[in-house]
Amino acid sequence: MNAARFDAIVIGGGHNGLVTAAYLARAGRTVLVLERRPLLGGAAVTEEVFPGFKFSVFSYVVSLLRPEIIRDLNLPRHGLQILPLESTVTPLDNGDYLASWADPDETRRELCRHSPHDADAAVLFGRLMHHMAMAVKPILGMVPPDPTSLSPADVMGFLRLGGHFRSLGAERFHALHKLMTMSSADYLDEWFEFDPLKATKSASGIIGTFLGPRSPGSAYVLLHHYMGEIDGAFRAWGFQKGGTGAISESIARAAQAFGATIRTGAAVERVLTRDGQATGVALESGEEIAAKVVVSGLDPRLTFTKLVEPKQLPDDLVEGVRRYKFRGSSGKVNLALDGLPDLTCLPGVGPHLRGAISISPSLAYLERAYDDAKYGEFSSHPYMDIVIPSMIDPGMAPPGKHVMSIFVQYAPYALNGGWNDAKREAFGDAVVATLARYAPNLPSRILHRQVLTPADVERITGLSEGNIFQGELALQQLFFLRPVPAWAKYRTPIDGYWQCGAGTHPGGGIMGGSGRLAALEILKEGA
Amino acid sequence: MSRSFDAVVIGGGANGLVAATALGKSGLRVLLLEAAEALGGQSRLVEFAPGFRAAPLATDPGWLPPAVARATEIDSPARLSVEAPVTIAAAGEHLTLWRDTARAADAIRPLSHADAKRWPSFIARLRKLAGFLETLYRVPPPDVDAPAGELLSFLGLARRFRGLGREDMLEFLRTLPMSVWELLDDFFESGLLKAAVAPGGMVGVRQGPRSGGTGFALLHGLVGAEAGVARGRAPWRDGPEAFTRAAHEAALRAGVTVRTGAQVARIEVRDESVAGVVISTGETISTSRVLSTADAARTFLGWVDPVWLDPEFLHAVRNIRYRDSTAWVLYALAGLPEIPGLTPEALRGVITLTPSLKALEQAADCAKYGSMSERPHVEVTVPSLHVPGLAPEGKHVLVARVQHAPYRLGDGAAWDAAPRETLERAVTDAIAAVIPGFVGRVLHRTLLVPPDIEARFGLTAGAASHGEVALDQILFMRPVAGWARYATPIAGLYLGGAGAHPGPGVLGGPGWLAAQRLLGNRPVRAGESS
Repeated sequence: MNAARFDAIVIGGGHNGLVTAAYLARAGRTVLVLERRPLLGGAAVTEEVFPGFKFSVFSYVVSLLRPEIIRDLNLPRHGLQILPLESTVTPLDNGDYLASWADPDETRRELCRHSPHDADAAVLFGRLMHHMAMAVKPILGMVPPDPTSLSPADVMGFLRLGGHFRSLGAERFHALHKLMTMSSADYLDEWFEFDPLKATKSASGIIGTFLGPRSPGSAYVLLHHYMGEIDGAFRAWGFQKGGTGAISESIARAAQAFGATIRTGAAVERVLTRDGQATGVALESGEEIAAKVVVSGLDPRLTFTKLVEPKQLPDDLVEGVRRYKFRGSSGKVNLALDGLPDLTCLPGVGPHLRGAISISPSLAYLERAYDDAKYGEFSSHPYMDIVIPSMIDPGMAPPGKHVMSIFVQYAPYALNGGWNDAKREAFGDAVVATLARYAPNLPSRILHRQVLTPADVERITGLSEGNIFQGELALQQLFFLRPVPAWAKYRTPIDGYWQCGAGTHPGGGIMGGSGRLAALEILKEGA
Repeated sequence: MSRSFDAVVIGGGANGLVAATALGKSGLRVLLLEAAEALGGQSRLVEFAPGFRAAPLATDPGWLPPAVARATEIDSPARLSVEAPVTIAAAGEHLTLWRDTARAADAIRPLSHADAKRWPSFIARLRKLAGFLETLYRVPPPDVDAPAGELLSFLGLARRFRGLGREDMLEFLRTLPMSVWELLDDFFESGLLKAAVAPGGMVGVRQGPRSGGTGFALLHGLVGAEAGVARGRAPWRDGPEAFTRAAHEAALRAGVTVRTGAQVARIEVRDESVAGVVISTGETISTSRVLSTADAARTFLGWVDPVWLDPEFLHAVRNIRYRDSTAWVLYALAGLPEIPGLTPEALRGVITLTPSLKALEQAADCAKYGSMSERPHVEVTVPSLHVPGLAPEGKHVLVARVQHAPYRLGDGAAWDAAPRETLERAVTDAIAAVIPGFVGRVLHRTLLVPPDIEARFGLTAGAASHGEVALDQILFMRPVAGWARYATPIAGLYLGGAGAHPGPGVLGGPGWLAAQRLLGNRPVRAGESS
């Protein structure tokens, strides 16, 4: 056994693991972070996939990172720099487009062009979503109380929650209830009439989730993606300068500044326990490292069935982990381009290429894309969220060249017959062919193409079934039910073994909330 | 006849009869108006061929809360325990889910040992969770802005909730938003078994089994069901009209004046208060209190002058989703059908014909785009087996419930002859695939698509649910947020149909609670026995 004994070992150098490590180190604990891959970040990494072309390989935009984390860890000093994403353009099937711009007046004029009714409704809708996000915000920052417990802390937690909901007033409480339970399509149908607008808005309700816009529960994911807009940190979605990996690096530097030790290329094989107490970890290399506390930033399946022996755990927990839904449903296509795409609806180079391009021409289009996946095929005409980071951050590509990041849904993890090289290429082809309908010059601009299926995401990052949120953000997997009822407070049945990944409340996106709350709970225990 | 009443109840179905009785018993002079010539609402029989009758909407007769029966002194008719309440017959395979849990497990065993072992715990869990819903369904919906006086009621609910025990408390919260697909996947591996249970989560919703909230819909349909049953409530021994007769008698005893064939034309409002009801003949009945058991859209968009309603309220009513997407085919048969290899008892329950979860989901897909399923989900019952009077001697009635058939077909197509024929043929083919020689026995058949149901039963978009049974349209959200407690923005106008809490399938439940609200009575406490 290695002589160096740490107060805490964090398994996994993804952003949540790094946040936990930074908070523990900040409180004076000796902390070691162990990352299997040669680079930090988990699914928030930047890699030079093709010479000269850098990609935010998986997660590619940021908005949700908790402002208290940015403050507490002083992240801007360590390199956090978000460049705003200015616009969203949705090419329509009739050759027109729908855009939203950084300037709200311009957006309003644009919307008026399609539907004056929706231009008015959008103002009220935006206000309501702001209030809804405000209503949910305190919940994101709280350790989920256990509804079955009568302990004073849990009862107080629920009384506080009850008080919070009463203070919202009935109208907002009901609106929140609708958001939590409805489908994004039904929800948006109540507000808007212009179908491409509803489709584009509903798209954020399906990201990372194996639900269609008409599936109940998707409205919550919509709200989840609005959360970042309220904190004033960077308002809407943005890019990290240097790619998403630079966010992870800034958190890592903060952790190191507080004294944490970080090792990459150090794959943990299992958590060591004695008498129901975690004592350290064993690496795949055979090395063993002792620690008072071991924190897993991996997803619930790995945390409870790979790092420890399930037989050390109560049956209901093991059963709960078995039932927990991952169902990765999204893929990523990263393109190296020797020039910019030319959209038929907005020809030439313009500000629209500095924002997102959303392939979401209608609700039925998205729903059909889901239907394909529901029966085990990737969508022949998928939903895509496209950005060209090199337009904003020229360092991402050689001069005159560009990188394009395409987030694609749906690509089911459980593809009929399984994923293989041919299927992956066919998926990449479907993406490029669909995009070529809106930007015919695109195929001829492609120098290199990287296609990532959920199976690839799992293989490279370790995320089970390639789910980008470490498990779906479905109502039955949120708050005190995440990841498993009764084990939602970052603890595990093994003393000194903790969870801090996005598989715990408040969940996925580059948010860091799980990592922070886990660290605060660990410190509260006096570890 | 007097033209002035203390209260007018609109609708002669279970809720209308119960509400009228409750009001009558409290001493009010009550008039009940029913548009059809007969009472019964959704239990009403349709004579679809000479001598052949069926009550398509009452395949599941629903649950009568005992406290409601007691308080209204309805002489609740007897139920018939069906030994084989649910059977799946598809693609040469069948499985009967016997009411007797051990017998059901025996039937499941050849398909999967593991599933047979899990069946009793599955049934026990459903029963326990539905039992908690039953508690919720006896009282007005809890809400964040409920008056402080009701806190006691919430505490009662909280105590009942805790009574579920730790595991079931969490399971209850977890199950409501789930899809019935995931719920069944948690327990079982046999596709046939899952396909037999899943349609219970599709009643009153447009979605397929894969959609969130269908777990709740399954539990909703199990409130008041007999022990051991995975879907549906036991039929009345003396037929669908048995309850109507009993409730009618109770209403008469309570002094209620009943008028059938009286179609409401509008509700008169003066100074934001009810002034009377005008019926289609032009006759005005003056009253200061109206309790409507019609759905919210019909009541507010059909009968109330919109000048009295605030635009937000109207917007909310317009947004209620009426989309059961259910059609029926009623068959008059020359003789009892026989399903080879299947116990004759199975015909006394529901027989579902869709072989897999995937096929159920596919049946639901088309409705999303406004077209009907090419291979719809079909389930059949033979009510004439219990109630011989529904068909001439030796002959039978077979009722096929069909999902999904949307109210409006896409692209502006009407439900004219062509789509009707296509749907009818698809249903007949589905039945004939399981019952050899079925087509030869059919003497007559009648298809009822949602617009037909709307016309015959006065249901908006043909939705027997009075609004989709979805998580955002139940409890304090039913019929619309902020107005879930039976009163409405018009003083003196109350809603007490299935569009109000606790919703469809609870006989007299909404009507009873609405009547209590109209009378200004303290709500019943959840903790009190019933």
